[in-house]
Amino acid sequence: MSNFINQILQSEKTLAFPIMTHPGIEALGKTVREAVSDGEIHYQAIKYISEHFDTIACTSIMDLTVEAEAFGAIINLPEHEVPSVTGRLVNDLKSVGSLEVPTLDKGRIPQYLLANKLAAENIRSKPVFSGCIGPFSLAGRLYDMSEILMDIYIEPDVVNQLLEKCTEFLVNYCRALKATGTTGVIIAEPAAGLLSDDDCMMYSTVFVKQIVDAVQDDNFTVILHNCGNTGHCTNAMIASGARALHFGNAINMEDVLKQCPENVVVIGNLNPVGVFKQGTESSVRKATQKLMTETAGYKNFVISSGCDLPPFVPEENIRVFLETVKSNNV
Amino acid sequence: MSSELLTKLSECVEFGKINLASPYPPQMKGLPGADEITKEALESGVTPGEILNDALISAMNKVGQKFSENKIFVPQMLLSAKAMGASMIHLKPFFANGSVQRKGVFILGTVFGDLHDIGKNLFGMMVEGAGWEVIDLGIDVKIEKFVEAVKQNPTAVVGISALLTTTMVNMKPVIEAIKAISPDTKVIVGGAPLSSDFAAQIGADGYGKNPQEGIVWLDKLTA
Repeated sequence: MSNFINQILQSEKTLAFPIMTHPGIEALGKTVREAVSDGEIHYQAIKYISEHFDTIACTSIMDLTVEAEAFGAIINLPEHEVPSVTGRLVNDLKSVGSLEVPTLDKGRIPQYLLANKLAAENIRSKPVFSGCIGPFSLAGRLYDMSEILMDIYIEPDVVNQLLEKCTEFLVNYCRALKATGTTGVIIAEPAAGLLSDDDCMMYSTVFVKQIVDAVQDDNFTVILHNCGNTGHCTNAMIASGARALHFGNAINMEDVLKQCPENVVVIGNLNPVGVFKQGTESSVRKATQKLMTETAGYKNFVISSGCDLPPFVPEENIRVFLETVKSNNV
Repeated sequence: MSSELLTKLSECVEFGKINLASPYPPQMKGLPGADEITKEALESGVTPGEILNDALISAMNKVGQKFSENKIFVPQMLLSAKAMGASMIHLKPFFANGSVQRKGVFILGTVFGDLHDIGKNLFGMMVEGAGWEVIDLGIDVKIEKFVEAVKQNPTAVVGISALLTTTMVNMKPVIEAIKAISPDTKVIVGGAPLSSDFAAQIGADGYGKNPQEGIVWLDKLTA
């Protein structure tokens, strides 16, 4: 049992762990483009979050393009929004076969490793979690998401070969993230939520588990995030072996908590847009209280946003969320 | 004979059997798919209207229903839509010469600033499968492009998609521009961060939480 997981399971209080870095980027007066391109700015944003919000841990930026970029994918880098992958890097057995597993000096990977290293070395008040994309979500970005969703049935050998290469890279990347000294890694695998439980098991869990087996230990916790799961592929998430699972707002947390083993930490799931970004102080308070009431009694529950908070969430809404958690714990 | 072919075609679309070469679904491996059966049906005298209404639309309706009930998932839905597309290719000439009427024209695009297309594509395929002609304007579609498409298709319904919280706000000026030149044009919006409240706030006439909801809304317009 890892120290981080122990701390949660032994706590008498409900702990708060919203996934966020954008409030830090905005408070520094920086753009998203600057933060995802420069490890020092990225680190400063994490540091701001760690110092200004009473959360159990903080995270690096949930950027689901940095790994695809390392493979050679073309990235669109808007100034104020998280980057996205454009085009299709591979499309058949030949192109997948000749795809090289990149080394960790490609694209923005060195800047991400720098941000994690600086955060782990300098943020002492709370744990810092690294982040990376999950293997199926990465493969979808390299192959085209619609096409990979169909080709798990039409060209399964091609998809599996691509998943093996993605996993090899992610294992290497997560080992390097672990070496920076962070407490763990959040593996974001939203695309696997588009699959049935059986397909999620076959085309995501099998590969996520390889990463988990390679890096998870008492000092390094894997949190598997799948905000696409509406309740249909929770078994596949549990089977990954990750000690913590993070769920999106489309799922019923009470149902999830009944389904998950007591020693697996379950994290979620207030709507990052409807509650945090578009909500009022009153609606944030109400939604937070409602979720805490529904999940009361589950010691393995951690309250969080259902996904990474998007840019330009009112800081006051985050404060109201944290204050509500605190006051409900009394 | 025609009834048997229409049943077979409907099954191909419902279960995602695109053509003879496709190995999916496993229980139909080695059998002709929507491509070959449509061709055979037309050659044997089945009318394009029967193919569209009695096989494709009914099959895609079942697909949408199963998806909304979590009985199938996005991959199966995409394969069904692809099978429908393989059949539809053979019907295009009949649409072009007017011998088969569709329910209407649906203009679709991802709002400007947003490059995501999976939700838009999925919905477009479902709308086509529901019997509409779909004009897909693509991704990152500027206001002027939507307006121009409405001018050229004044009776069309418009669908706007967004995946990002920073781009969903761009839907409002698009709707305002469309309504300014064509107040009666109906607009439906969809995308992961949206809600029915947000859709109402920006002046959309409809909101599709999932493809099937969108299809139901569209069908009400033609009822």
